Amino acid sequence: MKNQVNPWLTGNLTVLIIGMLPAIVLICALLYFTAWAFAFSFTDLALVGRKSVEWSWVGLENFERLFTRRGFLESLWTTVIFVFFSAIVGQSVLGFLLAATLRGTQSTLRTVVEVCIMLGWLLPDIVAAFLWSATTSQTGLINQLIVVPLGFPPINFINSYALPVVTIANIWKGTAWSYLLFSAALDSVSREVVEAAKVDGATPFQRIWLVQLPIIRPHIATNMLFITIWTFTYFPLIFAMTGGGPGRQTETLAVFLYNQSFSRGNLGFGSAISVAMLLIVGFLSLFYLRLLREPK
Amino acid sequence: MADVTLRQVRKSYGSLEVVHGVDLDIKSGEFVVFVGPSGCGKSTLLRMIAGLEPITGGEISIEGRVVNDVPSPQRGIAMVFQSYALYPHMTVYENMAFGLKLKKTPKEEVDQRVREAARILQIEPYLDRMPKALSGGQRQRVAIGRAIVRNPKVFLFDEPLSNLDASLRAQTRVEIARLHDTLDATMIYVTHDQVEAMTLADRIVVLNAGNIEQVGSPLELYRNPVNTFVAGFIASQRMNFIKVAPEGTQLRLPGNIALTLSGVDVSKVRTIGARPEHLNLATPETAHLSGTLAVIEQFGEYALAYVELPNGETVTIKLDGAPGLQLHQPMHIALPEGQVHLFDGEGRVIR
Repeated sequence: MKNQVNPWLTGNLTVLIIGMLPAIVLICALLYFTAWAFAFSFTDLALVGRKSVEWSWVGLENFERLFTRRGFLESLWTTVIFVFFSAIVGQSVLGFLLAATLRGTQSTLRTVVEVCIMLGWLLPDIVAAFLWSATTSQTGLINQLIVVPLGFPPINFINSYALPVVTIANIWKGTAWSYLLFSAALDSVSREVVEAAKVDGATPFQRIWLVQLPIIRPHIATNMLFITIWTFTYFPLIFAMTGGGPGRQTETLAVFLYNQSFSRGNLGFGSAISVAMLLIVGFLSLFYLRLLREPK
Repeated sequence: MADVTLRQVRKSYGSLEVVHGVDLDIKSGEFVVFVGPSGCGKSTLLRMIAGLEPITGGEISIEGRVVNDVPSPQRGIAMVFQSYALYPHMTVYENMAFGLKLKKTPKEEVDQRVREAARILQIEPYLDRMPKALSGGQRQRVAIGRAIVRNPKVFLFDEPLSNLDASLRAQTRVEIARLHDTLDATMIYVTHDQVEAMTLADRIVVLNAGNIEQVGSPLELYRNPVNTFVAGFIASQRMNFIKVAPEGTQLRLPGNIALTLSGVDVSKVRTIGARPEHLNLATPETAHLSGTLAVIEQFGEYALAYVELPNGETVTIKLDGAPGLQLHQPMHIALPEGQVHLFDGEGRVIR
């Protein structure tokens, strides 16, 4: 059935344009900021000083610097490791395992686990960062409670194992999302299908691996898409915990972008970094969107 | 092919008992239908036989072996689910081959068995399709095919036809009957539809509120129901139940006419039952019951007339052909000799 729309509405161009105005403004704003970053990635605009006013076009120089100077490629690698271990391996796999094991159990354990991972998710980034730094520092909880009583010298985890600590912190922070999404996805798998697999002789592992996982594959791809994009551009937790250090060990692209743009004041170069990030995330999204498609 | 034996099988969820000690012997090659209203425990019973539901008490044995603690795949059963439960991400072929592949059956044998089952069920053209590209009836066949391929000793069907439309249901019913004949396997079939039960079963098990009410062949249940529940549940037109008061050797019917029955002690009779198809129209003089026609349903080959008695009770009578009756006209009904079921105050039959 066709929608019945008042002909006065459809025929009147002025009314239509007024109706579309909020959307047009929003689209323009989005385009403006993207275009701004894109345009200034070809300039030597600076945050302060002479070049903040008298900037000039430098062509592809900023993009050349991405590959010729130290920093970008190292940060890209750090980001890839961070995304892979904290989002894809950590949040996704852990979230799925939790969802799969806790599914169907109405125990107190489930409630406790759910509340715990939710707390991690709901806690503000800066508070979480402070807690993690405090817990993993030389005089922190882990050293006081485990390492020292066992007779070992205290270890400054946040300093010696910065990237692993940040990665684990982000797993703790973000697993709730994946858990919730996978819980909902698993609920959509018909109980009878799982029972059919049981009768067919599938072990619990096979039921998950050969039946449930393939059925929720589109959900997995959606989740991967979300958490990859989020984690790729994730900033507050890392910045508040380590500021990118020690050295550049935890300097992911988002932190690198911030340091270049606002500590060093190279807004032009920063824009080039953001354009590069946009391209990388866009490319990854295309990959996941292909996964989303139904087979055949 | 295998015997299935249930001994005092019980099922409780917490303190709530839903199956109260069921005893049943199912012979090898038999087609047994569990029938009963929703919530009577028939599906639970089937799922316990399948191993999908733990058994709270009693014993279930298949082929003489107690299977209480045997996991489903080792029980030698195959199950067809109400929703078909096909694996949506696999082709028809993969769906049917899944169980065999898990058992590491050689490829040639898998192929041969899948194709054989597909041939029996006439689904060969769809082997490469995904389940979502099939109609309901075709999916149902694939689900049955998946069961056949496993070559089980016992087939379990959990309301397999309830998601099909009426004409397809009738057609598939015939196919299942034929399949039972071809495979000669033990089949246990759960339904709430008494037509499926009557037409498919060698024996029907009527369940109500977690208890077996009666076990018997369809005609036994039709002719000699042991209580009002079975009498009312079996047959397409519900049996008429009429409250009566015994008076000496006679029964006082509504409308104050006395019914004389020979050779029966009527002192305990509180209700009589008569099937609509056994009632006859009569003249006012020979009638046992009289009332007015409240509703008439014409089916062409027969008609159902709902007659309202003076005391407000309604009696259904099945008439052959297309009788020319007017609404609200007076109706006179005769109870047939020998076709009247007598029940006591608890609804048990009196013979």
